[in-house]
Amino acid sequence: MKHYSEDELTLYYYGEGRRRANVERHLDECAACAKCYREIAGTLAMIAAPDVPERGDQYGLEVWQRIRHRLPEQETGFGWFGRFAWFDGFTGLSRSLSVAAAAAVLMLAAFIAGRTSRDAAAPPAAVNAPANAAADRDHAEGRQRILLTSVADHLDRSERVLTDIMNAPDSGDISSAQGWADDLLTTSRLYRQDALEAGEQSVATVLDDLERSLLEIVHSPSRISAADLEQIRRRIDAAALLFKVRVMSDELRNRETHSGAASPRAPIQKTS
Amino acid sequence: MDATESAAVLARARQGDSEAFRALVERHSRSVFRLAFRMTGNEQDAEDVVQESFLRAYKQLGRFESRANFGTWLYRIVSNCSVDLMRAKQARHDQTRGESLDEAVELPANDLPTPERLAQSAEIQQRVQGALAALSPLERAAFTLRHYEGRSIDEISRTLGLGTSAAKHSVFRAVRKLRAALAPLRSQES
Repeated sequence: MKHYSEDELTLYYYGEGRRRANVERHLDECAACAKCYREIAGTLAMIAAPDVPERGDQYGLEVWQRIRHRLPEQETGFGWFGRFAWFDGFTGLSRSLSVAAAAAVLMLAAFIAGRTSRDAAAPPAAVNAPANAAADRDHAEGRQRILLTSVADHLDRSERVLTDIMNAPDSGDISSAQGWADDLLTTSRLYRQDALEAGEQSVATVLDDLERSLLEIVHSPSRISAADLEQIRRRIDAAALLFKVRVMSDELRNRETHSGAASPRAPIQKTS
Repeated sequence: MDATESAAVLARARQGDSEAFRALVERHSRSVFRLAFRMTGNEQDAEDVVQESFLRAYKQLGRFESRANFGTWLYRIVSNCSVDLMRAKQARHDQTRGESLDEAVELPANDLPTPERLAQSAEIQQRVQGALAALSPLERAAFTLRHYEGRSIDEISRTLGLGTSAAKHSVFRAVRKLRAALAPLRSQES
């Protein structure tokens, strides 16, 4: 007789899982599984929803009063060029970062466009299959190299921002680092999505961790308190973020160097 | 606020109209607080999540698709803000949290009230809270969404930006840990 696992019975408790009728029949017949299910159900039944403290009719207004002076600038959906034009008014460092970010976006756009146009231009029937396969492989490797280079550059720039935050004075103005972080944030999301699509889960995971820290930096007051800054630093430390960013950047560059010989989807060492 | 009015308010808020955004804040604050409290189990943390969620929502409004449901979109932001906050807290209080759970679990068995009284007691809730606090942020978020909010695994996956398998296993791990932590109470019942 096939018994059901604790996990399967948990799903059954929550009304999910496949073949529920089979589970139900089995529970009628199997004392061991029925006992396990009773224990799961008994434990979960103890966990009642906590009483949520009351909030009055004016609560929404109170929240508004607390946040109204802290509203950040809204991100624009696709306003890349407007965004860079706005950012260009800042320091030389910011300007160079803008250019680098714009270049990264253009590379990413080329990467995506290459993929799309390749798909669209594919002949209906391949006569010279071996030649086409070789061309496809070259094309895939080329795209992969572009992505590896772009993400590695992005990680290097992010590392500099994180390092600035880690080394900043205990309180003071972090608006410069915030500007860079804000700029990197949007690029990071694009790379993460692309990494996910390319099956690069480890890259996406590091970029996801990075985004969380960049968000925290961007949302902090420009004149940051020592306590708030310490909190950001602890979080960067706790996630071992600088380490992960460095390792991933090295891995990507290493893969980029060897991509001619290696397979285009060589696995990346997990860093967490 | 009816659907037409709501769409108009959203459109204005997306264009940077802070008064329109204020209407959204006033409308959704209580439900946001409720979810944040269930996620974090702490009133002050929930307040922090409420504020951070609205700030993130305002910033990202340009990316919100007008045909989507604003409440669902906001729900996702609140869930992720809660996970972020719990992760930050966990990094600071891992040690303390572990100790407090150990204390809760190691209460002498003969101090336990009878099963009937347990069902209603504050102590059982205290133990449950201790066990919940010992979960990882992701496990707690996934469990909250499944157990308290009645969300399916697929919905949890979309809300937390996880794969279906990762969402499922976060719930499984949470249930296993809760079973282990609450076993002394169950043995008293049987």
